[in-house]
Amino acid sequence: MAKKPPAANTGRGRTDGNGINDGSGRFGAGNEEGAAWSIFGYLISGLIIWGGIGLGLDHWLHTHFIALIGLLLGAGSSLYLVWLRFVRR
Amino acid sequence: MSQLVVAGGPGFVPPSTSDFDLPSIFGHSAYSTKPVFLVALSVILISVFFIAASRKAAVVPSKLQFSGEAIYGFVRNSIGEEIIGHEFMRFVPFLFTLFTFVITNNVFGIVPFLQFPAMSHVGFPYVLALFSFVIFHYVGIKKQGLGKYLKGIAFMPGVPKAVYILLTPIEIATFFLVRPLTLSLRLFANMFAGHLLLLVFITGGDYMLHDSHIFMKVLSPFSFAFGIGMSFFEFMVQCLQAYIITLLTALFIAGALADEH
Repeated sequence: MAKKPPAANTGRGRTDGNGINDGSGRFGAGNEEGAAWSIFGYLISGLIIWGGIGLGLDHWLHTHFIALIGLLLGAGSSLYLVWLRFVRR
Repeated sequence: MSQLVVAGGPGFVPPSTSDFDLPSIFGHSAYSTKPVFLVALSVILISVFFIAASRKAAVVPSKLQFSGEAIYGFVRNSIGEEIIGHEFMRFVPFLFTLFTFVITNNVFGIVPFLQFPAMSHVGFPYVLALFSFVIFHYVGIKKQGLGKYLKGIAFMPGVPKAVYILLTPIEIATFFLVRPLTLSLRLFANMFAGHLLLLVFITGGDYMLHDSHIFMKVLSPFSFAFGIGMSFFEFMVQCLQAYIITLLTALFIAGALADEH
């Protein structure tokens, strides 16, 4: 919540919308902040979607372990997606 | 000491969500509550300020013109141009409106007598997020075509096909559900929590001041002092949240404009 205010940006380098710079310039403060929020969004989505599917299956099949598998799967997939989007380029 | 706690316990009514349900000012309409008037006031104030600031534009700017241009310049350069790139000018009016609207309504939360952030009612941030949502998807579809845009969202290039089963639902949820929700809920939660925090310290200080026990009276100023300290902290949060919602909107637009993900 109480992050430091953004520093002046150098204004170089393009962003690709995930808030990450393409390496042609310096990282801007705004880009870093945007990347952080984008990553947060992906992690939440993974947990909600696969955790939710797991919970639904648990409810349907009267079991108790699929939600946990779903959550782990979702967390893992999200991290992989974040790696694809933000690290591998 | 335990007696004090017991004595102080049941009398104090802590602030709750009901403190956000403000009564109607005229009649019984839900459209004449304080937040509605504050939002209307913010629109008037913003309009008057920027019309006055830009009216007599001079080469050597007055203080008013300078401050108006500083805010505009911040949104245009630091958010618009920096994030969106060469097509940014089309989106500056929206980003600028969003930023000034949110920051004014947020700061109303600590302005004496106004003292209520309209964004602590979740309906207002929902509408703002809806604007962002519609705009960034529209921009993406317009620029890339519907099929290509959706394909760019759902299918990350360079991944084995089987992995799409795992990743595609996450991508779709991120773009169509999580983004608008986080955009609005973050703003709402910050304003809600901030207002509640101030209520706790100020009403707590007031309660302690009127308590019969001298010990409570002596400690009361500390609660008020904390309330004032927290007001400064809130000011920071209010500005930051206005910045973040504008920044994220710009990022989403930039993402929709980018040809490939």
